[in-house]
Amino acid sequence: MPSIACPFCGLVCDDLLLEEGRVDSRGCAKGAAGFARPEGIREHRIAGGPVPFAAAAAAAATLLAGAQQPLIAGLGADIAGVRALLALADRTGAIVDRWQSAAQLSNLAVMQRAGALAATFGEIANRADVVLLLGRDPSREHPRLFERLLRNRTALYRAGAPWVSYLGPPALAPADIALAVPAPVEASSLVDALAALSAMVRGKRVAGNAAALPLAALGQIAERLKAARYGAILWEAAAFALGEAQIAAALVLHILRILNLTTRCVGLPLGGGDNAQGAAQAMLWQAGWPGRISFATGTPEHDPWRFDAERLLAAREVDALLWVAALSPTPPPATTVPTVALVGPDVTLPAAPAVEIRVGVPALDHAGAVVRADTVIALPLAAARPSALPSVAAAAAAILERIGASR
Amino acid sequence: MITKLAGGVVLDPANGVNGERRDLFMDNGRIVAAPADGRVDRSYDLRGLVAMAGAIDIHSHVSGGKVNLARLLMSEDHRDVTVARGALTRSGGGEATPSSFVTGYRYAAMGYTAAFEPAMVPSNARAAHLEMADLPIIDKGTYVMLGNDELLLRMLAEGAEQERIDDYVAWMMQATAALGVKTVNPGGISAFKFNGRGLDIDQAGPQHGVTPRRIIQALARAVSELGVPHPLHTHCNNLGIPGNIETTLATIAAAEGFPIHLTHAQFHSYGTEGDRHFSSAAARLAEAVNRNRNVTLDVGQIMFGQTVTASADTMAQYRNRVFASPDKWISMDIECDGGCGLVPFHYRDTNFVNALQWAIGLELFLLIADPWRVFLTTDHPNGAPFTAYPTLVRLLMDRGYRNDCLKTLHPAAQKATNLGSIAREYTLEEIAIMTRASPARLLGLADRGQLGIGAAADITVYADDADRERMFRAPRYVFKDGVEVSGESGIAAMPMGATHVVRPEFDKGATGPIKRFFDDHMTVGFAHFPLSPGELADAGIRVLEHACRPRTRA
Repeated sequence: MPSIACPFCGLVCDDLLLEEGRVDSRGCAKGAAGFARPEGIREHRIAGGPVPFAAAAAAAATLLAGAQQPLIAGLGADIAGVRALLALADRTGAIVDRWQSAAQLSNLAVMQRAGALAATFGEIANRADVVLLLGRDPSREHPRLFERLLRNRTALYRAGAPWVSYLGPPALAPADIALAVPAPVEASSLVDALAALSAMVRGKRVAGNAAALPLAALGQIAERLKAARYGAILWEAAAFALGEAQIAAALVLHILRILNLTTRCVGLPLGGGDNAQGAAQAMLWQAGWPGRISFATGTPEHDPWRFDAERLLAAREVDALLWVAALSPTPPPATTVPTVALVGPDVTLPAAPAVEIRVGVPALDHAGAVVRADTVIALPLAAARPSALPSVAAAAAAILERIGASR
Repeated sequence: MITKLAGGVVLDPANGVNGERRDLFMDNGRIVAAPADGRVDRSYDLRGLVAMAGAIDIHSHVSGGKVNLARLLMSEDHRDVTVARGALTRSGGGEATPSSFVTGYRYAAMGYTAAFEPAMVPSNARAAHLEMADLPIIDKGTYVMLGNDELLLRMLAEGAEQERIDDYVAWMMQATAALGVKTVNPGGISAFKFNGRGLDIDQAGPQHGVTPRRIIQALARAVSELGVPHPLHTHCNNLGIPGNIETTLATIAAAEGFPIHLTHAQFHSYGTEGDRHFSSAAARLAEAVNRNRNVTLDVGQIMFGQTVTASADTMAQYRNRVFASPDKWISMDIECDGGCGLVPFHYRDTNFVNALQWAIGLELFLLIADPWRVFLTTDHPNGAPFTAYPTLVRLLMDRGYRNDCLKTLHPAAQKATNLGSIAREYTLEEIAIMTRASPARLLGLADRGQLGIGAAADITVYADDADRERMFRAPRYVFKDGVEVSGESGIAAMPMGATHVVRPEFDKGATGPIKRFFDDHMTVGFAHFPLSPGELADAGIRVLEHACRPRTRA
């Protein structure tokens, strides 16, 4: 029975089983839902009326080429799709952004400014003997994380299960893994708690006026991390308030730098569903920036505030939107900006966009490749229920071909 | 369509042609004989110009996860250096860490028609190849990194037969679509994950107790027995450490006569003499290379200015983080098979160590007698961006210029090098050997790096100019597979180059332990780790497979 990879969260597990069109998702509800997505609408439309693909691509080309400032957003596509969208953006002088990418860019901004101490899943699964989970239960977004990285029974370099602790709001604590030392702290004090932890790993005493902080538990975590052979800190930037995600990432890096003077400890920023890391990688290699890029002046420019798709739409600084959601079934944001929707067949559109192109879902309708949350590893996707729907790559190429070299 | 390149001075050392005036003909991407009827469709007047095969860079970090992390870390580079889109070309930017399209354009504009990514972590192979689909014009290929991968270390610890190691190496090369095998700080990247901060060549590593010497021995032999044309591409232990010449010489011995290529040897040619306990050992390495015919090396010349060091050698990069300029760095442990470390560097001629590194690199070039066994690299971007090559060519060809540069360096460094007394100047033929004929030969690219009938029509045409930097900076014409890709008005066409691979044979029945290892321990299963045969073609990548010699068994 062939095993297949699943692109519906950043873990990209590759041990799902495909038999006669049915997918055994190994107990993962997220994967099961992804592979059970309905076949939905398979026709392309202009202003709500069905048209052939070529006509829809031509209409999309006219709309994008005629815009003063087009925006390509969502970017929920496989690697080939993102590559093709960037070619289209470069030609049309568009701005590109994923959607609500601020959390991901918070981590990347810290890497740009200060760097990182990181590791891939395979290192953590085989080595980590002390693990700190930060902010919220990571298995909500990554259902098989504990099974694959912490409860795996055949780890190469650690005996038994790792010592696991959680620092974050009790309401968001993981229920599905035994916590040696829970360190409950409300979300509003999480960054303070990290600052206290960084002081403790440096061997400093933290004054008692930090009443909201679980100092005793933090002290134990600090000692465990210092004594670990290979510690790991796992967090999702999205678990932090927007202004605090960068501070949190910087504090984690600070803690890691101290610990690595004497032992090993690494960070693993999670997230990366919707091929977010694949999109960031393709943007980096093609344009030198990991997201929120404008090609308007002819050279790539990066600005996390100016090129935020949500802000651009709200401020009406763009006059055409190409919305791309082939992986997660996310409808385009409510906007009066004329929109071309490149969406999977099961995406419900609240209103008829100017142009609607139904694209295949990678791993369902067509093969492809996506990148895991740990960035290094790309996995191939099979077509579990092959169809003739165009891929994002094919649709973007068709639009680009119709724009031609005119601009 | 037959194109004639008429009346140029041709340097084609692979075919014994040294500066003869002759016509070249191209048809359908290949070099052909003069048409019997004399008819040509297009003719270029090459009188007064010099024609060579397209240049080939055997070691340049152009693609893959490490390079992408370097782009991320070097955001200033992408803010300060931007390249606008053109009618044919894509936008991009960066000098030390150029974006993929810009990398292809710059290489082509400089007369290069191929560059090889030398450090592909096995688990990063798919992503690296997909990235190379956006590296235009030039040909490319990769060396897969082994020697810190758990399975090989375990096999060595368990005393596996060489034949099984050969099978594993061959399987890995096919799985990752590689052209060669690289080893980086053998055993050291793995040791760093166990909190090891150093590993000498005869020191047993953690967990498995395997020494770097044993790893080098096994891999050099495997590559040779598999008939892979490119020898084991070796980044020695102890990079950058004063006194590491002993490790480098021991590495040559560890190869036990099998072919071995030492990469960025400049970083491995250091002694401990003098007040500052840092000295040139270039003469000792050059002497060893001159004596051992199985050894080749590329230099990894440093040039002064801002760059970033990008290496799989996390152990060395972590040690070197204290030199980061600007002060930021990345270290990443990767999938029980490798790692990557990024540290920005600003090499300064006023710094004693940097100035002496510059001199050590040039000493190596000038003291190794055989131009077929030394290769022109800056280990892009580690010693300098590849755009420094024309300046480096001038330093090799023009002693007056070289000595003028030497006089501007840190005074103590000037005293610590013999460079000023070396009279040698490279000839144009030697440059053609070092940048064309020999790289193609060392990589097994039979139809590249030469201009014989039937060779690929990768041709670079220069205006002969006493200022060799100006000459090599801007060739008059560059042809890739017979298409003019760069001419007097910049990039003229944007074909996609091919990806070169070899596929050494292995015993298909011997993959059981590999399958068990991946399925039991790794986070990508045996079914998905290898690139499938059609996968690269599906991504629009043209794969060119080269022959291996027949496999031999001990």
